[in-house]
Amino acid sequence: MEITVNDESYTVDVEPEMPLLWVLRDELGITGPKYGCGIAQCGACTVHVNGYAVRSCQLAIGDLGDSKVSTIEGLGSPESLHIIQKTWIEHQVAQCGYCQSGQMMQAASLLSTNPDPSDDQIDAAMSGNLCRCGTYPRIRSAIKAAAKKIQGS
Amino acid sequence: MGRLRTITRRTFLIGSVAIVGGVAFGTYMAKRPIKNPLLADLEEDEAAITPYIKIDASGITLITPRADKGQGAYNMQARLIAEELDIDPVTANITPGLPGPAYYNGTVLEESIPFPAYDHSAMAENIRKFMHVPAKLFAMQITGGSSTVPDGFVKLRMAGAIARETLKKAAAQRSGVARDLLKTEDGSVVLPDGSRLAYTELAAAAAKIEPVTDVQLRPSSEWKHLGKPTERIDMPAKCTGTEKYGIDLRIDGMAHAAVRANPGVGAGVESFDANEAESMRGVQQVLAIKNGVAVIADNTWRAWRAADAIDIKWAVGPYPASTAEIFNEIENVVDVEAHRDHRQRDEGDVDEALEDGEIFEATYKVPYLAHAPMEPMNAIVLVTDDKCEIWTGTQIPLFVRDHAVKMTGLDAENVFVYVQPMGGSFGHKLENTHVLQAIEIAMAVKGTAVKLVWSREEDMTHDYLRPGAVAKGRGKVADGKVETFDLSVGQSALLPDWFGRLMGTGIPGPDATITTGSWDQPFDIPNYRVTGYRAPVMVPISSWRSVGASGNGFFHDSLLDELILKAGADPLAERIRLCLDDTSIKVLEKVGEISGWDGSSMGENRGRGVAFCMSFGVPTAIVSEVTRTEAGIRIDKVYVAVDVGEVLDPVNLEAQVFGGVIFGMAHAMNCETTFENHAAQQNNYHAFEGMRLYQVPEIEVVALSNAKKIRGIGEPGVPPAAPSLGNAIYAATGQRIRELPFNKQIDFV
Amino acid sequence: MRYLRATFVFSVLMLSVAVMAANDKVEINPPLQGSVSPSQGLEAWSRIFEVASHPRCANCHTGPSDRPMWSGPSYGKTRVHGMNIQAGDSRIGAETILCSTCHTSKREDWDNANASNHAAPRVAMSWSLAPINAHWFGRTSQQICEQLRNPETNGNRDTLKLAEHLNHDLILHWAWTPGGNREPAPYSLQEHVNDILAWGVAGTPCPDD
Repeated sequence: MEITVNDESYTVDVEPEMPLLWVLRDELGITGPKYGCGIAQCGACTVHVNGYAVRSCQLAIGDLGDSKVSTIEGLGSPESLHIIQKTWIEHQVAQCGYCQSGQMMQAASLLSTNPDPSDDQIDAAMSGNLCRCGTYPRIRSAIKAAAKKIQGS
Repeated sequence: MGRLRTITRRTFLIGSVAIVGGVAFGTYMAKRPIKNPLLADLEEDEAAITPYIKIDASGITLITPRADKGQGAYNMQARLIAEELDIDPVTANITPGLPGPAYYNGTVLEESIPFPAYDHSAMAENIRKFMHVPAKLFAMQITGGSSTVPDGFVKLRMAGAIARETLKKAAAQRSGVARDLLKTEDGSVVLPDGSRLAYTELAAAAAKIEPVTDVQLRPSSEWKHLGKPTERIDMPAKCTGTEKYGIDLRIDGMAHAAVRANPGVGAGVESFDANEAESMRGVQQVLAIKNGVAVIADNTWRAWRAADAIDIKWAVGPYPASTAEIFNEIENVVDVEAHRDHRQRDEGDVDEALEDGEIFEATYKVPYLAHAPMEPMNAIVLVTDDKCEIWTGTQIPLFVRDHAVKMTGLDAENVFVYVQPMGGSFGHKLENTHVLQAIEIAMAVKGTAVKLVWSREEDMTHDYLRPGAVAKGRGKVADGKVETFDLSVGQSALLPDWFGRLMGTGIPGPDATITTGSWDQPFDIPNYRVTGYRAPVMVPISSWRSVGASGNGFFHDSLLDELILKAGADPLAERIRLCLDDTSIKVLEKVGEISGWDGSSMGENRGRGVAFCMSFGVPTAIVSEVTRTEAGIRIDKVYVAVDVGEVLDPVNLEAQVFGGVIFGMAHAMNCETTFENHAAQQNNYHAFEGMRLYQVPEIEVVALSNAKKIRGIGEPGVPPAAPSLGNAIYAATGQRIRELPFNKQIDFV
Repeated sequence: MRYLRATFVFSVLMLSVAVMAANDKVEINPPLQGSVSPSQGLEAWSRIFEVASHPRCANCHTGPSDRPMWSGPSYGKTRVHGMNIQAGDSRIGAETILCSTCHTSKREDWDNANASNHAAPRVAMSWSLAPINAHWFGRTSQQICEQLRNPETNGNRDTLKLAEHLNHDLILHWAWTPGGNREPAPYSLQEHVNDILAWGVAGTPCPDD
């Protein structure tokens, strides 16, 4: 099976039912997407498929087709931060950080389709991503700050 | 009532027998210096001047032995060392290092004594100091009890200062310039002529000289790293997906393991059929382990799927089958003299006061709760004939090591525990069942590293939970004042059981956690009594963020609120009037000020509630404002005032308070762990939702610095969160909810 | 440790999968005109209403509300979909978070994709809410009946076209094969299609006509 992740092509030999998450983590060693629940209840595994946020624990590799996957590793790096990662650091969002890959992928997906979301739209788009540490207030501020930066640029 | 059940100031200590019986020996042992564990493995030209700092030609390593579960502990420990060492901590290598007795937590037992935290009398302070002795004796390298900052505040800065002065001494010898003429800056010793000698160049020389130990700590006015907002050192990695948690680690050639253990925790396996599992793709082995079955495969998902395909017949769980039966046991001990564990507060004459007149009575209840951190329990273990290596996120690394020693028969120096960054814990990682399972599996395939990852379902059905508890409250009011307050709390004893698991032997004596957060509150009520009753340990229980105060904060403040309202007094003003501790009074006044408190009423369908709890020495007051909407209760705004003595990082403090308040409210809103057929019923987040972003109110935090001692802030935000919400719901709706979670009786937006 | 060999569990599972797959094939054979009496038509309607008002259907037919609903053994009472999900005017969540973020599309021949009790269900097409007009949740038999027989509110369909729609729209098939411990909609897809056709031949009677 051929799969494209962060613009790199890989060949994997796995069952079509294997969730994309475990192909990424265990077969390809791409560990930014996290396992939290396995049933689309927490959002820690969120990646982009053709640019849209998808819970990688719910997408079987056999159902990916020729869609392109990008993960938090493809969003930006410590040397070249995505605007979302930049405001995440500026607002000191992360505590344990485990859910944050998913939070940022969801936020980036929201801003790519809606660069100026209202507070209600942020609340709607981001409430599928669970955080147990309670970083929510800062997630909200960081998204608003990123939207402002996009508006200003 | 037996003697052991009576708490006196002489015997009310954790592990009272061991400690009371061993003072002399203990004092001797406690004074004996612990050897610096870094010295054992030093290479030529490496210096380890204290157990916390290692310097060689390639760089500086700071040892941060308290685990980081997300609370920023590595950052804070590194900055405490850096403040005196004069380095930029961002450039240092920061690692928890290998566990060792040198890293015992002296502070963690300080507040387990029969003196409330606001008592600064000489006797109380001396006993607190004494509590460092058992901590050292038992090599308690534990992260917990919001103790990382108070324990490290002096210790880590001293380590930095000793290292700095020793490096200066080495520089003095090399340059011929007297030590007191040398300065230090950014990892170098600066000579009077402005030339610099890097610490890394001086390491080899410093390693050979006697450390300078008569050092002075700098006053806070000279701090460069502390007392101001900092960027957490772990932040860039956590915001780019590059932080490697235990679950992300890969060891060459490692296999992936899954387990299914008896959901009746502690009971075994009667039989199992692994026929189908064994034939599934990638499965290498299926083996019986203690109380369960394990699968070894070539991929996590394949291992889990195979584990699900095993047909297992479980033995019957070793405790009552259902939540109703379990709570029945708890209710049965409350106010029953034979089950009294301790009565640590007994002022005035409650019995006489309650003999006649109008008596208020109410029963409160809090549920069992899972920790459910986002990262499920996991461990990698490699066992060979001569050593055992363990990679795992844990708050108890030395106890993990000791268990591995017992299981493998290896010597302690051949067992290595590498503590990994953790995706949350909330106390979950004070337990180590998963590591023991991983060791057992790894011993069956010696030479191959085995990575065990619990599925979310395995994690939430094999947790050591926050104990459920029941409290009966009684009271009386007169002349618009609260006059009598009597609280009886029933709960299973938590700490003796936990110590038993850690050290292989149970500890007799009373368990303070039954009433922590209610017996020790800074109030002066004419007739004031708090009694703990001990239920048998049934389902597995352990420490959960804020431990005893998590339930007691709700019991104590809810009863107080009801009595104040019954007296017709203002909830904030009466709490302030009753409070006997100046620091706490200022916290209450501050929360009133920032919330614009003018009574609990805010118009139709709106209301505010105030709550207060002192836990881990931190007085914390919260005002919550709520609105009743058609869709349910909406939390509009929350105001928090705390006092931690000294604020080392206001940005991280605010984050911890946000986290604590949200954690406390989230569980109060909609979380519980219930049992049927001996099994926990909430096995994933669909049934244990907590708070989602849209439900989170704006939270305003103010930290005061009037307290005498520096305190940790990881937990104190939790206990008053639930009662402030409950009190606000009452103010908005007239509905008093005395049982958590609230959503059994009222909807939330 | 004694191993018990009980392979029959597996074969029983396989059997039920086969039955579910067979259910997916629908035959559209309307009864002859005049062969269904008005009272038989009303009986057919009452079965149709049982289906339409069943949570497997009604939870996503929420009308002007763009909030899907949740119900089932672990939810206590029927509740609004968790996570503050709003399908928006797009009915697929395009404004905020797409339904397909969690309700991914599966390939058609994967029968066991929804075995997990609490995972987001998935079908071989994009997940979405029903159109606003098709408002069933919380509505009476009469209200739903009138909506379904009116081409202006049912997507311009006669009952034959409604039956074909049921045949083609795989998201609807899921109601009878929801997987996990979810309770399927009553009757079967074929019986439901037969009832629609009979109701049509009877002149689409509604209870309060």
